[in-house]
Amino acid sequence: MSSPKMIQRHTRAGIFIHWFNAACWFFLLFTGLALIQNPGLNPLGAWYPGAVRAGFGGGAYLLVAHWLVALIWLAVWVVYLFWGMSRFVAPFLNSTFSLEPNRDIQWMIKKNLQMTLGYKMMAKLVGPLGYDGHLPPQEYYNAGQKLAAQGIIMGALVLIGTGFIMLFSKYFLGAADTWLVQWSITVHFIAAGVTTALLMVHIYMAAISKEERPAFISMFTGTVPAEYAKHHHQLWYEELEEK
Amino acid sequence: MAKQLGMVVDAGLCIDCKGCMAACKVANEVPGDNWRNWIKSGDADWQAKKRGRMVFQPGNCMQCDKPTCVSACPTGATYKSKADGVVVIDRGLCIGCGQCIKACPYGARFRNEKLKVADKCDFCSSRRAVGLEPACVSTCPTKARAFGDLNDPASPAGKLMARNKGKATQVVNAQSNTDPNLYYLGDAGLKSWPVKAQMPGAFEFWKNLADPAVKVVVGLTGLGVLAMLGKQLMLKNDAPPPEEHGEEGGHE
Ligand code: HEM
Ligand code: SF4
Ligand code: SF4
Repeated sequence: MSSPKMIQRHTRAGIFIHWFNAACWFFLLFTGLALIQNPGLNPLGAWYPGAVRAGFGGGAYLLVAHWLVALIWLAVWVVYLFWGMSRFVAPFLNSTFSLEPNRDIQWMIKKNLQMTLGYKMMAKLVGPLGYDGHLPPQEYYNAGQKLAAQGIIMGALVLIGTGFIMLFSKYFLGAADTWLVQWSITVHFIAAGVTTALLMVHIYMAAISKEERPAFISMFTGTVPAEYAKHHHQLWYEELEEK
Repeated sequence: MAKQLGMVVDAGLCIDCKGCMAACKVANEVPGDNWRNWIKSGDADWQAKKRGRMVFQPGNCMQCDKPTCVSACPTGATYKSKADGVVVIDRGLCIGCGQCIKACPYGARFRNEKLKVADKCDFCSSRRAVGLEPACVSTCPTKARAFGDLNDPASPAGKLMARNKGKATQVVNAQSNTDPNLYYLGDAGLKSWPVKAQMPGAFEFWKNLADPAVKVVVGLTGLGVLAMLGKQLMLKNDAPPPEEHGEEGGHE
């Protein structure tokens, strides 16, 4: 068999920022979780913050590691955003924030049924509603990827805002304004929780599900087989064909 | 019994000279309007037949056995030391959120004006490290304050505890008794001033709503992912209906 025709999906800059981001994000999630230590909270149990703090030489160093990596993460992102605004960032935001409700809701319902029950059951379940058992064609990103990306972007903004309040409260907040810090902790936790849920699905789809294996490989090589693009991102494929 | 540093105070000996407050401020570099200790006094009833007497009640953080400040601290920066029972603040870990300040029934905590982190009495940990007593204890001219391991009858405070078994009293708010380790001998004077301990709203919201909600969301998502994994393993050849495949295109 001759090697399949490949098409470009990710730039090297995009691949870099994705893996850089993912590495920082994991670090921040696991150090952040260990920064919570309270008899009434302890999301993973009291052993977890204890063990991680011991590894970092104490809670104070863990706190420094958390905000230091967060600042580095943010600095790299700021550079990337300015440097790649027109080439990478604007097109990415364009494709992630363009939803077409009718098509995309259908896709979300069907894809979820298909992923958990299979094509046959999905076709049976949506058949009576007038759907034909197929999934609506998708653009460069499918509806699930778009929603996940939107959630992650908004979650990241909330995490940055609340993180800044906590980190810099000592410099610009008076004793009467500490309620802002208190709510920042709570909201930071919620944003981290919600994005973690999104990322669980993201990582399953990208790294474990067989159907998206070509997309996973493309996050290293930059290219996907044309055949995959045609079936998984038909609208994108057709757009490329027209060019 | 575990070591529990505490104080036994004879309020009847206090003459309100405020020497302990000044000594503490110097010893612990407590800035500006911040104070780690206090002297409370009520109004004596000068009208009564038997002439009233002012009672001055010296106090500071009581290193409670059930410290509400610890319950309110999200990071564990405030914790009760297992070694000596003192409630301490890890300044490097404190993010200055102030939840502990609100949670203390005695108002024993404050936001350090200079460092912008929580601060309070820690029985002069730096002086104790070199074998000295807390500054307030050393300085008190009438020796109203006795300090030491409450469970060790050989320590000054432990000796008074043993001698006054069942008679030393705590000053508490009955609605939120934190079981303090500051005891008073005889008439402690004003008793009604500790407030009911209150957890800040953001913390209550987190503990009672956000924490369970996030656990449910992440848990359900995990179940969803497991369902997909199960399906991937069970239905090896899951394909769309073949008739239209290729014509209609996009199937995933
Ligand atoms: C082991 C961990 C991860 C793997 C295997 C992974 C894999 C992938 C892959 C293969 C894509 C490309 C999808 C496509 O070409 O259609 C992608 C995109 C993306 N990833 Fe990740 N990723 C991981 C972690 C993360 C983390 C931690 C974040 C963020 C905080 C993240 C955010 C994104 C976003 C926003 C996109 C673009 C939109 C989307 O596909 O949803 N990823 N990831
Ligand atoms: S007196 Fe207040 S600050 Fe001190 S241990 Fe008790 S609750 Fe905490
Ligand atoms: S201000 Fe108090 S509650 Fe907040 S982190 Fe510091 S010690 Fe803990």
